[in-house]
Amino acid sequence: MKITAPIRALEELEMLAAAGAQELYCGIVPEEWTSRYQGAMWLNRRSPNGSGVASWAEMRRLVEEAHARALPVFVTLNAPYYTEAQMPLVLDLARRLSEEAQVDALIVSDINLLVRLSDEQLAARLHVSSVAAMLNSEAVRFLLNFGPSRVILPRSLTLAEIETITREAGRDVEIEVFLLNDGCAFEEGFCATTHHHSVGAFCTSLSGMDAAFEWSRGPLRSRRERWLRHNLADYREWVWYVNGNGCGSTPQGLPYGPCGLCAIPDLLRMGVASLKIVGREASPFKKLASVRMARDILDRAGAPRLHVIERAMSLRQEPEHCASGYMCYYKVDGAGPWRRNPLPTVAAR
Amino acid sequence: MEWCAHIAGASDLEGELSPARLAGFEPSGTLRPALELTVRLIEERFGGVRFSRGAFGNEFCEHLLPAPRVLEEARAAVRARGLAFTFLTPYASDTGIRALRELLPVLDGDEVVFNDWGVLNLLRRDFPGLTPVQGRLLNKSLRDPRVMGLYAEAPANGPAGAATLDALRRSSADCESYTGLLARFGVDILEMDSLPQGMDFSFAARGVRVGVSLPFGFISTSRVCMAAGLHYAKAEKFQPGAPCRHECQTHLVEYTYTNSPFANRDQKFLLKGNTYFYSHTAAMLRRLLEQAAHGEIHRLTFQPRLPMSSAPGGSGNGMCA
Repeated sequence: MKITAPIRALEELEMLAAAGAQELYCGIVPEEWTSRYQGAMWLNRRSPNGSGVASWAEMRRLVEEAHARALPVFVTLNAPYYTEAQMPLVLDLARRLSEEAQVDALIVSDINLLVRLSDEQLAARLHVSSVAAMLNSEAVRFLLNFGPSRVILPRSLTLAEIETITREAGRDVEIEVFLLNDGCAFEEGFCATTHHHSVGAFCTSLSGMDAAFEWSRGPLRSRRERWLRHNLADYREWVWYVNGNGCGSTPQGLPYGPCGLCAIPDLLRMGVASLKIVGREASPFKKLASVRMARDILDRAGAPRLHVIERAMSLRQEPEHCASGYMCYYKVDGAGPWRRNPLPTVAAR
Repeated sequence: MEWCAHIAGASDLEGELSPARLAGFEPSGTLRPALELTVRLIEERFGGVRFSRGAFGNEFCEHLLPAPRVLEEARAAVRARGLAFTFLTPYASDTGIRALRELLPVLDGDEVVFNDWGVLNLLRRDFPGLTPVQGRLLNKSLRDPRVMGLYAEAPANGPAGAATLDALRRSSADCESYTGLLARFGVDILEMDSLPQGMDFSFAARGVRVGVSLPFGFISTSRVCMAAGLHYAKAEKFQPGAPCRHECQTHLVEYTYTNSPFANRDQKFLLKGNTYFYSHTAAMLRRLLEQAAHGEIHRLTFQPRLPMSSAPGGSGNGMCA
């Protein structure tokens, strides 16, 4: 099972490789796109400002030097859709990435683009983005018609659901899952909103809006309204966690945000091929810290479950956040609020 | 053009089948103005409406899948009124796919709206006698009502240039390769939402038929349901796909965009269960009805409720009350 790390500049390569990243993914937005499209029309699910590799020359060097370290590089072309007018630009970019820059895979969401690229028979393999919302094994089987080598599962899947998909389709396609950093309050592939800086993400924006409740069985009495508002407050707290604990960091500067470290032994057992660290746009330090945490746990994935959980919690350094359960991608027996056995037996060794 | 009524169950069909009567089913004071506006504008543009199809089911939550008996009753009631039948299906986990595998044998020659490629795969392989229709969740156009309406209002000097606005009004359906792919799988009807920024239906000239629901468009949906959290202890809340008590059937949240950086601070968003919706504005409804009158739209589906209804006796997810 490999660690897939985000990268946006050549200067991040050495540290990510040294920390234990085994695959890299990034984005690039050519000037032809930014000169034509503004606002919310993004090429690869990220603002073109500051989240992608800055130039074609840097992309080529990045791939070259990554390959010299035996690290494959994947590039995102994962907008939810492309129009007919956009398709020549996108296909040309894909061809250049594959044939000139020699990237190893293209990450796509739009099934139309997947089919078009499958027809192109490029050297670069095709990975299906989590934005394609492959929530069940039938959907993965359907996509196998178009030749992807990997499917990145949405972060809303439970461990049991990942296990089912991996069991049903894992022999035919690699399965990648989310491990660290940004969450998504909604089903990413079925969220028709923009994260454009003018308005921000809809999920976090909702937390600042007035909310009025209606109950269809009668007037909303104060007791019920208090109950509803209490639940809303809990939900907003959950969204805060999903949003990287309000985009915060620990006093030591380590990243917060959704985390699947405790689930690594389960994911390894299931045959998951790769663990995704989110955040192309994140700071180099956040990427480095994330890869180190992933590497640390992956290297001890064979240890007893509670040892792994304890180690993961110690790496996160904020046990109260782990204990909330709202920072977990996956519900793991023995971790977070689902802990059934007290950890001190391990700590006292 | 075809008119379709989205019903919540067989009892909706006992009586006159008109938009005005159907709109009367919705008890919510929050939703009533949008429904009344829609009924009035439909009557202004089309006069009387004759429904020829009934739709049943939901597109957003597998916990709201009906029991086979309930689906059978709804279908029988629709057919008894001389209407064609459409079954709406949601995106699904493998558990939802298993539930659909038990439900679909109830149908015979009917339409099934799929919002998940896995459901299409199931339909093609195991139920070739059913007609697949692509649901609106697989139409990926952005429809963020916070800003898309603004894009449309000021294309020249607003946040988007002409090329951006043009692209925002389209989707994958714009590409012949995509509609050709769907045709290979027997899909030639695409359901869509009416977009705040307007819609370009030029792809329909290739013989693709378009269906649009009104007056509610979806904004976003999630496997994590805020309403379902009501009956959980705090630490157990907001787990993806967690069983629920169908709290969505009795609770509605109306958000007001009070923190907008723009002037639209009175804009409303609706949350029902796991899904956020917007109501079509009068301008959007007029534009949509005009496009329908000009033959750009094959089907309009009138939703007299937010489309999250759970039929009585429906969905066994273990906790239904």
